[in-house]
Amino acid sequence: MDVDSDIPMHDAIESQQQQSSSSYNKESNPPENNKHVSSSSPITNSSPSSDIISNSIKDTVNTSTTHDNTQSNNNNTTSSSSSNINQLEEWIEHLSKCQILSEDDVSRLCKMAVDVLQYEQNVQPVNVPVTICGDVHGQFHDLMELFQIGGPCPDTNYLFMGDYVDRGYYSVETVSFLVCMKVRYPNRITILRGNHESRQITQVYGFYDECLRKYGSANVWKMFTDLFDYFPITALVDNKIFCLHGGLSPMIETIDQVRELNRVQEVPHEGPMCDLLWSDPDDRGGWGISPRGAGFTFGQDISEQFNHTNDLNLIARAHQLVIEGYAWSHQSVVTIFSAPNYCYRCGNQAAIMEVDENLNRQFLQYDPAVRPGEPTVSRKTPDYFL
Amino acid sequence: MSIAMSNPSTATTNTATATPTLPKEDDLYPLALLMDELKHDDIANRVEAMKKVDTIAIALGPERTRDELIPFLTEVAQDDEDEVFAVLAEKLGSFVPYVGGPKYATVLLPPLEILSATEETIVRDKAVDSLNSIAQELSEEQIFHDFVPLIEHLATTEWFSSKVSACGLFKSVIVRVKDDKFRKVLLQLFYNLVLDDTPMVRRAAAKNLPTLIDLLTQNIRLSTEDDWEFISNMFQKIVTDNQDSVKFLAVDVLISILKFFNTKKDYTHLPDLLHSAIQLITDEAWRVRYMAADRFIQLATEFVEQPQLLQQFSQPFLSLCEDNESDVRKAIAKQVPGYSKLISKSDKTIVLEKIFPAIQTLSMDENETVRTSLASEITNMAELLSKQECIDHLIPILLNMLKDECPDVTLNIISNLEVVNNVVGIDILSENLLPAITDLAIDVNWRVRMAIIKNIPLLAKQLSVQFFQERLSNLCLSWLWDSVYSIRDAAVENLTKLTEIFGSDWARDEIISRLLKSKSQLLENFVYRITLLHALTGLVPVVDYEVVIDKILPFVNHLSQDPVPNIRFNVAKSYAMIVERLDKDKYKDLIDNTIIPKLQELTEDQDPDVKFFADKSLKKVKKLME
Ligand SMILES: [Mn+2]
Repeated sequence: MDVDSDIPMHDAIESQQQQSSSSYNKESNPPENNKHVSSSSPITNSSPSSDIISNSIKDTVNTSTTHDNTQSNNNNTTSSSSSNINQLEEWIEHLSKCQILSEDDVSRLCKMAVDVLQYEQNVQPVNVPVTICGDVHGQFHDLMELFQIGGPCPDTNYLFMGDYVDRGYYSVETVSFLVCMKVRYPNRITILRGNHESRQITQVYGFYDECLRKYGSANVWKMFTDLFDYFPITALVDNKIFCLHGGLSPMIETIDQVRELNRVQEVPHEGPMCDLLWSDPDDRGGWGISPRGAGFTFGQDISEQFNHTNDLNLIARAHQLVIEGYAWSHQSVVTIFSAPNYCYRCGNQAAIMEVDENLNRQFLQYDPAVRPGEPTVSRKTPDYFL
Repeated sequence: MSIAMSNPSTATTNTATATPTLPKEDDLYPLALLMDELKHDDIANRVEAMKKVDTIAIALGPERTRDELIPFLTEVAQDDEDEVFAVLAEKLGSFVPYVGGPKYATVLLPPLEILSATEETIVRDKAVDSLNSIAQELSEEQIFHDFVPLIEHLATTEWFSSKVSACGLFKSVIVRVKDDKFRKVLLQLFYNLVLDDTPMVRRAAAKNLPTLIDLLTQNIRLSTEDDWEFISNMFQKIVTDNQDSVKFLAVDVLISILKFFNTKKDYTHLPDLLHSAIQLITDEAWRVRYMAADRFIQLATEFVEQPQLLQQFSQPFLSLCEDNESDVRKAIAKQVPGYSKLISKSDKTIVLEKIFPAIQTLSMDENETVRTSLASEITNMAELLSKQECIDHLIPILLNMLKDECPDVTLNIISNLEVVNNVVGIDILSENLLPAITDLAIDVNWRVRMAIIKNIPLLAKQLSVQFFQERLSNLCLSWLWDSVYSIRDAAVENLTKLTEIFGSDWARDEIISRLLKSKSQLLENFVYRITLLHALTGLVPVVDYEVVIDKILPFVNHLSQDPVPNIRFNVAKSYAMIVERLDKDKYKDLIDNTIIPKLQELTEDQDPDVKFFADKSLKKVKKLME
């Protein structure tokens, strides 16, 4: 499936043919404590049993946050001025109708976003509950569907694992919206960098052209790709779930080593930062050469060692099309892909992963959004008026 | 280029006064630089520059725009890329004020004539639109001397692109020509386009012809016998065209012709036109049949004054329902209630005896888009039937369609049940359809579940409380715990609506007290706590004060200490809603001593979002208490 083969530009042509379909159907046995509840089966209510107010919340809730050294991701406590907030809310409303911001507004937004993102860490701490999402790739209407399924931000906390742009037709609207949400609610949403959040890749896979088409110049592309340099590259949910776009790197054994990287730069062609955004899990053990031409493949031995060393439960990552929207590799690596019917033709479902206060996980799968203007009735109307 | 050398300082002064709303950078944009931009190597720069061409025009003033800018743009229109042409073609349409008003508007025609001959459709269409809008401002004299000759040039070149553009321009002149002889010349010209060798030109002509006829209908006394001789010949040519893609446009032409004669109350041609209509409906090319099926009601409506003619549509209608081509069946399926309504006035038996069997077949069509299409309209059949006929003929079909494997079919039926309810009443509807509805309430497709929820208040309004309690209330509560947010949200709204119907006591006993007894295990999950908070807050505006104070407020207070910030800022929002609802005098103590201190506490929260929403609510509450 060639649509899944995003590869660095310098290798674009030669590796295009090498893409195997090994990237999906990786589903193996999921860890036991997972509830697999698809969005398609509502939980039925069981009979009421005890009185809520007397014996409920205080003693049952959130034992997992007692070790709270990570509760301080509130670098952003300096709240924005109310005029900024009004401005942001205006932009969010505008963008949610899939309308682009003016070039001047994008410029102001990106300046505000640098002020927020530059203080985030390479390994951004994130609290539970949170809903973790994978690639979106400019499929704006499907992103809106995602919020219909998972709930609106800020009521629901979100962690996006990169690849907001390229491939879909609405990269500009998608990335503008997510960045706006990030600036408006820095504590409620985390946006990591994917391998597509890069100057080189976006020139090949659509974002550059889209900016040119929608703004008549490359200015907006430049503003966003300059901003991408500040995006955090990984996140750590409640010290237990390590989240990143691609996968592991042979040069990284501990999470502390990620903290030492200088991330504010274009995604390099090689080295640890490149690997984190490009690597894939594989059925074969050890490290392997990635058919993508960047990053590596890593086996179950590698992920188990990494999780053991860093006292993790799980690695959550995106980057690969998976037909069911999510798929397990190894025992403790999950791929989450949030672009349904990827590239408008792959026929895959999308998924997001809800993690509650006790680190219980629930996957929600969903199908493409009903596109505006398209009646629910006809899927295809023949074009007689050529 | 004289413009390029124009003095930038004068230009900027003009700009500043003429367009005070422009952004500052544009105020000082040097004209010379802009002209240079139009010669820039990079096409994106030239497009950007062209987008600002009206700024230049304003800066130059009308005289220099006419004498210097338009000639320059005429040159550009012959030597650039389509992207630049497209912007230019569009901009020129609003240039009339910049050249000094309608008096000088004809100077805009030469560049637009050039652009109308471009091969690129987008450019051509924009040029034609601009020409048509300029034509609105021209005098009779200008139309005669400048605009019509332009159409003649375009219509008589060798290039198909010019001819296609010409077809789109006749509508600006056809009814402005009061001289019969002259209008005949125009129609002759248009007739030649209908006869053109290139199918693309014939298609453009056939597509524009209905507009021209409609204009004649609006000016009903204008056209002559001779004009109609031409139009009739054009229709004959189109209806016998060897290209399906031209021929199928005859359907719209025919509709326009019918409208003209009906407006004129001249019914002498109707039998002939009926013959043409039936020919099109039964054409061997399926695209033609598709078009006739898609416009079926429009066609048949024109014969409604002549029942004996209208009845002749029934047999062709039934054949379309059985057409081999699924796209044709899909189109006609949407027209079923509309046609039945027309025909039932004179021939009701055919509806029950012939059309219902056809509906039955369509409802089981092998193609799901056909069934979906039928489902979107079929419930409207109820309006034509008596209660008993509905029960005998329509309800069985609806029941089957509710069980369709394609969710869109089900969805379309459910969303349109109200009209059936109006005829058969809720008892029949619920007795027959409730089992199907409760099955669908747990459908795997969340949009189906959503459609059911949206219809629950409609059902509830007509059911007794007891019946509702027995059959539907558990369902309504269970939706609150759906895994999809939108369903939970709709479930909250549904409870509010039900309370409006069944009252505050019902909500207290059947909803609130049951919710407050939810399993504590369930409430370990933040999703359930926030949903419960939303559900109870949603009830605040519709229940009595006592219920708010005794049941809802304690729960909200309790959650104000929740470890999850998202809950705490929703608590802050709930407080504002509670105060808004309560009698401010009667509950002043409670508000001052409980709610305001709680909100003040939340404004000191560590989380910035909790602080933000608490501040907002506190301001609102204080304002309410003034
Ligand atoms: Mn990727």
